[in-house]
Amino acid sequence: MERIYIKSILTIVAAGAIISCNKLKEDPDSLITSSQFYKTQADAVAAVNAVYSTLNSDPAGDFPIYGRNLNLLIGNGSDDQVYSPSNTNPDVRALGTTTYIASNDRIRKNWQQHYYGISRANQAIDNIPAIQFDETLRIRLIREAKFLRALLYFNLVRLHGDVPLILHDPSTVEVKDLKVARTPVDDVYAQIISDLADATGLPVSYSDADKGRVTAGAAHGLLAKVYVTRKDWPNAKAELEKVITSGTFPNATGTYGYDLFANFKDAFQKPTKNGKEHLFSVQYETNGGAKNAQNFVSSGDFSSFNPAVYAGDLPDERLVAIFDSADSRRSVTFFNKILNPATNVIVDFGAITRFAKFIDFTLTPLTNQAQSGLNFPVLRYADILLLYAETLNEINGGPSAEAYKAINLVRSRAYGVYTSDGNYSDISHDLAPGLNQSDFRDAVFLERRKEFVQEANRWFDLARNGQLVQSLKLIPAKANNVSERNNLYPVPQVEIDLNSLLTQNPGW
Amino acid sequence: MKKYVRVVLWVLVLFPLAISAQSSTDAVINSTIDGKVVDAKSKTALDGATIQIKGTTNKASSDNNGKFSIRTAQRFPYTIVISFVGYQTKEVLATGSSIEVELSEGESQLSEVVVVGYGAQKKSDITGAVATVSKNNLTQPAVAFDNLLQGAVPGVAVTQSSGQPGSTATIRVRGGNSINFGNDPLYVIDGFIVYSNNNLSNTAAGSGPGVNALSSINPSDIESIDVLKDASATAIYGSRGANGVVLITTRRGKNGRNDINYSAYAGQQRIANKLSLLNAAQWAALVNDINVSDNVAKTFSDSDIAALGQGSDWQNAALRNASIQNHELSFAGGDEKSRYLIAGNYFDQPGTVLNTGFKRYSARINAERNLSERLKIVANFFGSRSQEDRLFGNAYGSINFNSAAFPILVQTSPVAKIKNDDGTYNMTSPYSATPTNALQDIVTTTNRTYLTRYLGNVSAEYKILKELTLKITGGADLLNTKQNYYAPSYTTAGYASGGFSSVGSVSAVTWLNENTLSYDHAIRNKHFLNVLAGYTTQFSKDESVVASAQKFPNDLTSFNNLSFAGTPVLPVSDAHQSSLNSFLGRVNYSYLHKYNITLSGRADGSSRLGANNRWGFFPSIGLSWNTGEEHFIKRIRQISNFKIRVTAGQTGNSEVPPYSSLAALTPTNYYFNSILVTGIATTQLTNPDLKWETTTQYNGGVDIGLFKNRVNLVFDVYYKKTTDLLLNVPLPLYTGYTSVLKNAGSVENKGIELGLNTDNIRSKDLNWKTSIVFAANRNKVLSLGDKVTSYFPIAPTGQVSPVIVKVGLPVGTFWGYKTDGLLTADDVNKGTPILAGVPQKEGDRKYVDIDKSGAVTTSDKINLGNAQPKFTFGFTNTFTYKGFDLSVFFQGSYGNKIFNLLRQKLEIPTLSLNASASLLNRWSPANPTGSEPRATNSPVPQVIDRYIEDGSYVKLKNISIGYNFSKGLISKIHIKQLRLYVSAQNLVTWTNYTGIDPEVNFYDSDNTKQGIDYGVYPSYRTFLGGINLTF
Repeated sequence: MERIYIKSILTIVAAGAIISCNKLKEDPDSLITSSQFYKTQADAVAAVNAVYSTLNSDPAGDFPIYGRNLNLLIGNGSDDQVYSPSNTNPDVRALGTTTYIASNDRIRKNWQQHYYGISRANQAIDNIPAIQFDETLRIRLIREAKFLRALLYFNLVRLHGDVPLILHDPSTVEVKDLKVARTPVDDVYAQIISDLADATGLPVSYSDADKGRVTAGAAHGLLAKVYVTRKDWPNAKAELEKVITSGTFPNATGTYGYDLFANFKDAFQKPTKNGKEHLFSVQYETNGGAKNAQNFVSSGDFSSFNPAVYAGDLPDERLVAIFDSADSRRSVTFFNKILNPATNVIVDFGAITRFAKFIDFTLTPLTNQAQSGLNFPVLRYADILLLYAETLNEINGGPSAEAYKAINLVRSRAYGVYTSDGNYSDISHDLAPGLNQSDFRDAVFLERRKEFVQEANRWFDLARNGQLVQSLKLIPAKANNVSERNNLYPVPQVEIDLNSLLTQNPGW
Repeated sequence: MKKYVRVVLWVLVLFPLAISAQSSTDAVINSTIDGKVVDAKSKTALDGATIQIKGTTNKASSDNNGKFSIRTAQRFPYTIVISFVGYQTKEVLATGSSIEVELSEGESQLSEVVVVGYGAQKKSDITGAVATVSKNNLTQPAVAFDNLLQGAVPGVAVTQSSGQPGSTATIRVRGGNSINFGNDPLYVIDGFIVYSNNNLSNTAAGSGPGVNALSSINPSDIESIDVLKDASATAIYGSRGANGVVLITTRRGKNGRNDINYSAYAGQQRIANKLSLLNAAQWAALVNDINVSDNVAKTFSDSDIAALGQGSDWQNAALRNASIQNHELSFAGGDEKSRYLIAGNYFDQPGTVLNTGFKRYSARINAERNLSERLKIVANFFGSRSQEDRLFGNAYGSINFNSAAFPILVQTSPVAKIKNDDGTYNMTSPYSATPTNALQDIVTTTNRTYLTRYLGNVSAEYKILKELTLKITGGADLLNTKQNYYAPSYTTAGYASGGFSSVGSVSAVTWLNENTLSYDHAIRNKHFLNVLAGYTTQFSKDESVVASAQKFPNDLTSFNNLSFAGTPVLPVSDAHQSSLNSFLGRVNYSYLHKYNITLSGRADGSSRLGANNRWGFFPSIGLSWNTGEEHFIKRIRQISNFKIRVTAGQTGNSEVPPYSSLAALTPTNYYFNSILVTGIATTQLTNPDLKWETTTQYNGGVDIGLFKNRVNLVFDVYYKKTTDLLLNVPLPLYTGYTSVLKNAGSVENKGIELGLNTDNIRSKDLNWKTSIVFAANRNKVLSLGDKVTSYFPIAPTGQVSPVIVKVGLPVGTFWGYKTDGLLTADDVNKGTPILAGVPQKEGDRKYVDIDKSGAVTTSDKINLGNAQPKFTFGFTNTFTYKGFDLSVFFQGSYGNKIFNLLRQKLEIPTLSLNASASLLNRWSPANPTGSEPRATNSPVPQVIDRYIEDGSYVKLKNISIGYNFSKGLISKIHIKQLRLYVSAQNLVTWTNYTGIDPEVNFYDSDNTKQGIDYGVYPSYRTFLGGINLTF
């Protein structure tokens, strides 16, 4: 009997010894590690898709760059918006009152999101060349990533001035080895221009499955905007004329078929997404939860038919006042009354005007704006035309006929008289003729303000025009707080705390 | 269990004695005396007792059946002396017939055996800090056993997350060592190691605060709980010992009896406390005041307000008094070779909030058999199925809180009607963003979790030699979680999606194989040596899946058939596995049970850590000196026991998620032409150097027994320093990464602990015992790595973090503004500094400009205290008088702060949400002496000293009165034991805290966000009657 037990014990010991060989090496089934990736064409495509996704999503579920986050800096930070009583986040409110400081969380988040996208672009640009697949596609993918990297740096350099120019992913986790100094603005722009120049070799258009990717026209257009920002008028003019559809202006050679929608509203509608006016848009989709546009601009604009509930973002009353009643952009951009399609009752929100431009009216229920399927237009043809008007005014020392034409096309569309291909029927809304250079410049900037409400342009326009401080002085909530230092956003305090090589912008 | 261990130990210790005793037997035989030595209480045989004929050297030793036989030249009658270490020596007159001698346990701690890691040890020889939970604490009704540790053991702090039946609790043994990962103790259930990971009992399908994985274990199965606190005791658990080890032994059958036991209790839970809110008329007046400050017309006319009256009490409408019941049936017994226990349990606790509750069915079989003199096998098997209906809210582990059911409910406007006249829910409130109803949301949302757990292990112990034992254990813990969630289209959560449903499942398995060799050797009853060596290996794997869908045409199928939904949601699945291989060893040496030394250590290899640092070694040393055994102390009659203990050692923590050291890529999505595409990119940098957090701990203690051990005092002082913290070290954001998991920084904990047990009255009829436990711990962040002196843990979206982790302060310190009443007209005139960027007038809150910069900015925020108590205590008195027993248990905490986030929310006047009744005393031109700020439209909430409240409390946790029927009375009806009792739990709470209950942790056991109250499930009082019946 005893022996049987002993035998069984020995068996157990033997079995124990066998199962005891537990491997300690990790071989995860549920995730991919970098050594397994960047091997195939599909990997390369996914790597570039990941760069795009940084424009419309945040890894922590926060507002993405081209959701509401950049708009908080550009809209709340400018004279277009003030804080809303529902901005219970003090950092958001501080942007609306120009009391933000270097440790403002939204500024940090925006900086972080931009570098997050840049990092993904760097990964793609560094890793894709070593993957063996179709040459044409490989070059295209790298160029797409370069455009996106340039776009993100263009935002950063305008917001913060000198910024660290990072072009490769870190190969260490030691903070001391990751310290870099800020790269001068000129060098950052040189990189942006070089990346965009590369990207101009992208396809003119895409098949349906790839619609929404970066095109050559988008690259030329953004490059033009960079040159305008740099006040490099000859280059700006040259690039703009490559974009502007040939035949509409004497020097225009554009073959991309860009044109204004006859109806301003169509620039912000689901059925007209990626249309003839859109050079580049960040893509959103109403997709029943598979992935929706959470924290998109729309969810800050409208969430309730209850007038007691304030929207997250509210226009300043002085912005509303600059639109005349015949301007179709007023009713597209704002509302005071809204129809509740569920009850067919028009709900009156009273005296406080709200934003309407990015409300997706196709949603049921309409309050479900977190599911908005509207794209965010990063670069529209109207922008190109206004940049052209501005460039011609600067390069010629005053407005030329073409400059007038460019701004009047945009105005005619706003007043509903634009048809197509640079033609409109009624000249009564044209800008008053005979303006001097300075007055014309002001007219262009005013037109830009009306045209691009909530499209992440206003603060940039004020800053590059030197009008930021004086414009904010007109807003009571900001007047006492604004100073010259606001012409640049501060470098986030956490970055300076970690890296003593980083300097802060003047006044911060 | 203890008994058997004790027998085994004594056999081993006394074996040399027995050898020498037998060799001196006389050759001339005149008489033979046979007999048996048994324990007076348990009647179990005592192996190795010495039987000596008085006045001679003639002696024998009892065998493992307690039997002895002496043949002697002496004639009857003569006196024999029976002695056994740890028992009182007895003299018996031998007259010739076979005798049975009952020995009673001595009063010395020499006799007591304490369960320690991988074995048991005589209390006298222990060097480490080990505490046992008293029986009185164990018998309290509880959903999960972790609740039973509260106030039971010095140095173990337990905080319930909420009043939700089956809720989690935060358990800290001697404070939290880690900032980010793994502060919970290790649980060892009948030798099987369980790290309670609530990620395994929660999926993304569930909504609301966490489900407690430990609630699947039936607490009434537990015979004893021992807590190992210092490094000497826990180093044998190596990399998992840093946070203390809780050893749980379940009930076993006893030799020589066959008992059938039925225990049950039933009772009622009643709401303990409610929030004081505005009624409809008061709220309407508040809205009018906001209108005035906004310069718009008043919403309500005076006649409107008069007509509103009380309005709706939403809080009341969702609460109820609920029943609670527990039934337990067990069969236990055994003979000399086998012991068994079969037990079944049913527990049912409907919640005090509608549509919530907890239910559990469980069964246990414990069996053991001595197959031979040398071989013993033991099997423990436990299975349970529990069902928990929770309040919906923020998902487990998420930082968002805006969707928590209870806060939403209490913030619902009292002007809105709850129900229409026809009894249906009113869904047309003008103050709701969607046409829904907060109470209906609670009643109609399904948020159910099923936990199914099987925990089983078998072991075989084989005595290779008399002193050398091999033990092999194999076991598995299977935990299966299923969560069902359904929010119909008419609820707030389901409105936008037309009904939302989600099912989630986690299937987790852990298996463990342990092989130990132990060697016990005693030399001349002076030198006692015990050596343990072992190899163990553990493997864990979990697989999870969550599927969701939305747009349901009706409520008929909901989560049971997602294919009826109109729109699928991208499903997710995940899997992890990890391995841990270990070598362990321990040497105990004792000289005369007076001078003791314990050396122990464990080498652990964990798959979760970086490739360069998988293995770690954790050593410890412990010394103890039974000073009381020295003559100079023995002379002092009052001192019956005096022991000094000193230990030092290192333990570890590696509770990072698997794959934390790898360069991981994660998927994201984008659209081209409305078609979803996947993007993949690196989101985590690799760190092959990732290694353990190491806690170095020093402990000094004394155990003092006075007046024949009627007063027992245990006092410990400790210092712990945890280095190489597993921190998400911030990286410069321009790298594209926010942080990397690295070992950096250090935290210290130091404190004192006191346990005092007194036998105040000990008499035939009346007995009175008192137990006091007291512990004070101080926690401090010493370093956060290079260049980092503080950081703010991630705050809920749209909120400013109320806590800071800062060098020199305790982990999770509240950080905010100091305030000084309200701005007066005088303040405004003379330009008292105001909150930057916010327009302020007379009657607004006045913030203190700490740095005298002329404006109140974030640099004026200061330390407002922290959630860690200055001390915790438990105070128990038990009285028995004849058959009656009375137990009174107080438990408390002092000096802990609570961030009353719900109060902050409720004191913000808005045009749509209800507010706290404290706003009645708001400043207004008509009420210039008001203490609260004037009504404005949704002012930004600030973290201010007002909302960092003192969370100190004393609770009358349990009071119970019972009656034990006398044996004579009940034996006629064949009942061995019958006890009836009534008890009340949480009967009284003394506190200054203004929230519902000071025991609150909205963020569960997140170490950096302790003590935050955002309106958790309300607490309740329980009144019970119970029976304990043994046949």
